[in-house]
Amino acid sequence: MATVAPASAPSIVLGRRLPRTRPWYLEVWVQMLRRKPLGTLGAAIVGGMLFLAVFADALTPYGFAETNLRERFVSASATHWLGTDQIGRDVATRILYGARISLYVGFGAVALASVLATLLGIFSAYWGGRLDLLLQRAVDAWMAFPGLLILMSIMSLLGPSVLNITLVLGIAAGIRESRIVRGVALSIRENTYIESARAMGSGHLRVTLVHILPNVLPTIIVVATTGLSTVILTEASLSFLGLGVPPPHPTWGGMLSLAGLDHMYRAPWLAIWPATALSLAVFGFNMLGDALRDLLDPRLKGA
Amino acid sequence: MRPYVLRRLALAVPTLGLVSVIVFSIMRLMPGDVVIRMVEGHAYAPTIDALRRELGLDRPAWVQYADWIGGIVLRGDFGTSFWTRQPIWDEFIQRFPVTLELAALTILASVVIGVLVGIVSAIRQDSAADYLGRVLAILALSVPYFGLAVLVVVLPSIYFKWTPIWTYVPLSTSPLENLKIMLVPALVFGVTRAGPIMRIMRSALLDILRQDYIRTAWSKGLPERAIVLRHALKNALIPVVSLIGLQTPLYIGGSVIIEAIFRLPGVGLFFFEALTRLDYPVVQSVNLIIATMVVGLNLAIDLSYAFLDPRIRYR
Repeated sequence: MATVAPASAPSIVLGRRLPRTRPWYLEVWVQMLRRKPLGTLGAAIVGGMLFLAVFADALTPYGFAETNLRERFVSASATHWLGTDQIGRDVATRILYGARISLYVGFGAVALASVLATLLGIFSAYWGGRLDLLLQRAVDAWMAFPGLLILMSIMSLLGPSVLNITLVLGIAAGIRESRIVRGVALSIRENTYIESARAMGSGHLRVTLVHILPNVLPTIIVVATTGLSTVILTEASLSFLGLGVPPPHPTWGGMLSLAGLDHMYRAPWLAIWPATALSLAVFGFNMLGDALRDLLDPRLKGA
Repeated sequence: MRPYVLRRLALAVPTLGLVSVIVFSIMRLMPGDVVIRMVEGHAYAPTIDALRRELGLDRPAWVQYADWIGGIVLRGDFGTSFWTRQPIWDEFIQRFPVTLELAALTILASVVIGVLVGIVSAIRQDSAADYLGRVLAILALSVPYFGLAVLVVVLPSIYFKWTPIWTYVPLSTSPLENLKIMLVPALVFGVTRAGPIMRIMRSALLDILRQDYIRTAWSKGLPERAIVLRHALKNALIPVVSLIGLQTPLYIGGSVIIEAIFRLPGVGLFFFEALTRLDYPVVQSVNLIIATMVVGLNLAIDLSYAFLDPRIRYR
């Protein structure tokens, strides 16, 4: 197969025609630094979170499930920066490892969701006709459920585990996001270059992979980044109820949990730090997602 | 208008049919057998097979589905709980007012906060108040409501010796006492939901304040108050209303968590307790009832646009 340069919409989508000195995926970050201070802050928070998650082992002398019954409910000190919990586990350590689980579930679910949304969305838009109608009614039915309710139902039946929650959140988000991908793919399908590609004898697979996919890609990136904060928040809500990631894995939602409420009266830092970490992460992903959306695909504003 | 309403209603029927199939299949195809737990842990029946027969779970799946849907459509019977053998609908209706009140107060709180801050932010664009409002909106978007709820339950009790009231008093018994109980959960939930409302209110109002008819109103010499409140606000509220509609599922999902934290005996707590006991009939019927409500509410909101903006006409 001869290499064909993918149709390069992004330089136009970026808002101004620029001399193309950099590829668009680098240009985005330069524009982010220049024009989006909040987005840059978000990117820095996300980067910091990634760093903490990756190097958690090296950053703390404790294990995440390491208990020490002689040091229960110790408040912040030089040895335990954020104090310890009801069985003497170091809160700072658990926050660090919590970042790892959040990112693991978040990235896993979003990767799955993006692949699913891309396949479903492009397929439905490209094929059109009765199949599209049928698929979209199924998506409608799925979207009629209040998200958290149906996710709770599924998780309580499957049982809490890291793999289960990643799969469930990924599939649920994928179905929802396929609607947005479909919308964009529908408008791209109408372009004359698609028609001419077909006329020149390109097969359906080639048209979708070479002409439609590259043009849908910025949208997918935007949907994925904005989806990350939702997925992380949903994982935390489910873990909070005991339906997400099971103990002893530390998660921010699980640390805040309903079951541990009684201990928090004695040790308020058990509630404060996970809530702060979660808010900071959601803030970071939100700001990064918003900035990426403005830079890559302003059409999605408000989506 | 009437053909439009009828068509929308007709379209809702297949959607709800699919909803019922999805929720039924999920409940039946997943592992996790409630019958084993009921027999082994609680001795509900002598053997697993006997209980399965008693609950009608030995029949083919499609017969069970037909039985469930048939009961709902023909007799308004949503089935009974495996554990308590009580009719689900009775329990749902008895608890629904609590959840409805929580949702209404939450939406009220988030709309009052969001719309007020949004208006101030828009009419004083780029002032200190605007920046403060925008920072608040971003904060509200970032803080998870259950985190805030836990902090509100825990921190004041440590530092101010104040705790939320745990014993629920129905609205009919004592409206004032009831309001005292509902106020804190509704405010906590409402504040975190006000963020998106603030943002959309601000951008919609900014957009409308630049339109020609607003300039005409200024040049007629109308005071700012009249221009903002009488001329601009009504049009700017349309995106707010549709946002609330889009967010209803979030209010409902969130009410499960809020009710669990503040121990309010609403539908959310009913659902959560049923979940932990794998009470399928309750879980699937509550899911279906609530999905039906969401579909109905979205329809109502679409129709309300015609009231808010007479330029919108339906065909």
